[in-house]
Amino acid sequence: MTTNSNKKTVESNSLITKKDWWQVFRRSCTLDAAWNYERQQNMNYCYAMIPILKRLYGNDKEKMAEALQRHLEFMSCTPHVVSLLMGITGAMEEENANNENFEASSISAVKTSLMGPMAGIGDSFFWGTLLTIAIGIGVSFSTVGSIVGPIAFLLIINIPGFLSRYYCLDFGFKYGVKFFANMDGNDVVSKLTKVASIVGLMVIGGMIATTVSIQIPLEVGVEGAMASIQSYIDQIMPGLLPLCLTGGIYYLLGKNIKTTTILLWIIVISCLGVLVGIL
Amino acid sequence: MNTNLVVQSLLIVLVAFISYMHCYIGSTMSNRPIIVAPLVGLVLGDLTLGIQIGATLELIFLGAVPIGASNPPDMVSGTIIGTSFVILSGSNIGAAVALAVPVATLVLLFDNLLMMFVLTSSSHMADKYAKLGDYKAVERIVVLSSIGNKLILALVVGFAFYIGIPVIEQVLEVIPAFIITGMDVAAGMLPAIGFAMLAKMLLTKELFAYLLAGFLLAAYFQLPVFGIALVGLVIALLIFHTKTGNNMEVNVDDNEF
Repeated sequence: MTTNSNKKTVESNSLITKKDWWQVFRRSCTLDAAWNYERQQNMNYCYAMIPILKRLYGNDKEKMAEALQRHLEFMSCTPHVVSLLMGITGAMEEENANNENFEASSISAVKTSLMGPMAGIGDSFFWGTLLTIAIGIGVSFSTVGSIVGPIAFLLIINIPGFLSRYYCLDFGFKYGVKFFANMDGNDVVSKLTKVASIVGLMVIGGMIATTVSIQIPLEVGVEGAMASIQSYIDQIMPGLLPLCLTGGIYYLLGKNIKTTTILLWIIVISCLGVLVGIL
Repeated sequence: MNTNLVVQSLLIVLVAFISYMHCYIGSTMSNRPIIVAPLVGLVLGDLTLGIQIGATLELIFLGAVPIGASNPPDMVSGTIIGTSFVILSGSNIGAAVALAVPVATLVLLFDNLLMMFVLTSSSHMADKYAKLGDYKAVERIVVLSSIGNKLILALVVGFAFYIGIPVIEQVLEVIPAFIITGMDVAAGMLPAIGFAMLAKMLLTKELFAYLLAGFLLAAYFQLPVFGIALVGLVIALLIFHTKTGNNMEVNVDDNEF
């Protein structure tokens, strides 16, 4: 809508300027800096989205408030690829700002369903493959006291890291803009929201089984045939305790119990459990 | 002699701060021992020895990666205290290993407290301003807590360096073992809060089966999360391309489950 050369936009039909784009890029670098146990990278994700939100909702306190809260939700992703998600949700926010019928909840749904798979790829590549290669090469130089070791390590990690961050953001914006600009009618969007929720929920289910851990090593039984309670539980169903714990917390959240309260109780129960020997 | 120690402590705080800030400048992994130990060497006047200790400690902390909600031992503090002890006392590199691991464990304990209480409450504070649409306040809170928690950690490391290694070992002995183990156990359970919050956002009665399906695929078939997402994608495609005739109820906000 404007051809002002000082305000170059990322796409011809977009309000978001190149300057905003680079601000998002720079802020995406801070993703892990305020990591917390409740919602992990939520604060810095929101921080990175603010340049876009400011451009879109600068004059609309109410929409700004909704968007800020939306991006303060739980976030867990690999820092080197998260900019893809920022690009896509940025494009969706723009659609939300322009289109009355856009369902804002689809932004959360897309975030939730994509962050798990993206983290799956990103974690195994950056914290797995690449780090192992960088350590292998770096250590071989460092052992003999050569400065090449640390320098090689940094280059091997960071050249792919920053390239990935750049192209992910670029791709996310373009793909997001095109994908969501062609959509008309609520049917497609609500269907998309539903299928995105399905992928998201399946990923959540999988992550409950793989990342939440509770072990009850306490042994029971007659002498000579002792077995830990954990082994009995595993026979009934592997991952039963993490599933019950998550279900329990879900229930408590429904009763409007604060997350900090739940967090405190988990710590207290853990310490007491260790003290009496059941955890 | 004493002014020397003060200067060194300040330099150590600087090294620690730079190392912790790696996740503010693009998760550059410059918090790894292979980078931190040479920096300590540079500050204490023996770069070559620093590089060599870095190689040794890097291999010790090989498996320490921050994936999802699992936080590895605090490599920065472990490396700094271990390396400076070896350089200043002239003992062999093995001593760096013996010191680095307990220090890293102890400081992780402290960092866990930051991440559980301080950063969680700043996240709540950000919520409060977000509700008002005050993005400037949200920005301030995020920047302050991002840099602030790293500064606190750096000061802790500097203080540890200043008071000396023997005291650190004593402190580690005073804390009851059940609390240290208990924090470990709690760290395994805490991600459940995040998942419950996510489920609260997406879950409806109709969609509960999918969460269960994802869980079972991981629990019984050890399918990795990425594989589960792909299975989810297949289901999503099937549903997305079925006829739109039968009006599906798809209100995600309809969270009455």
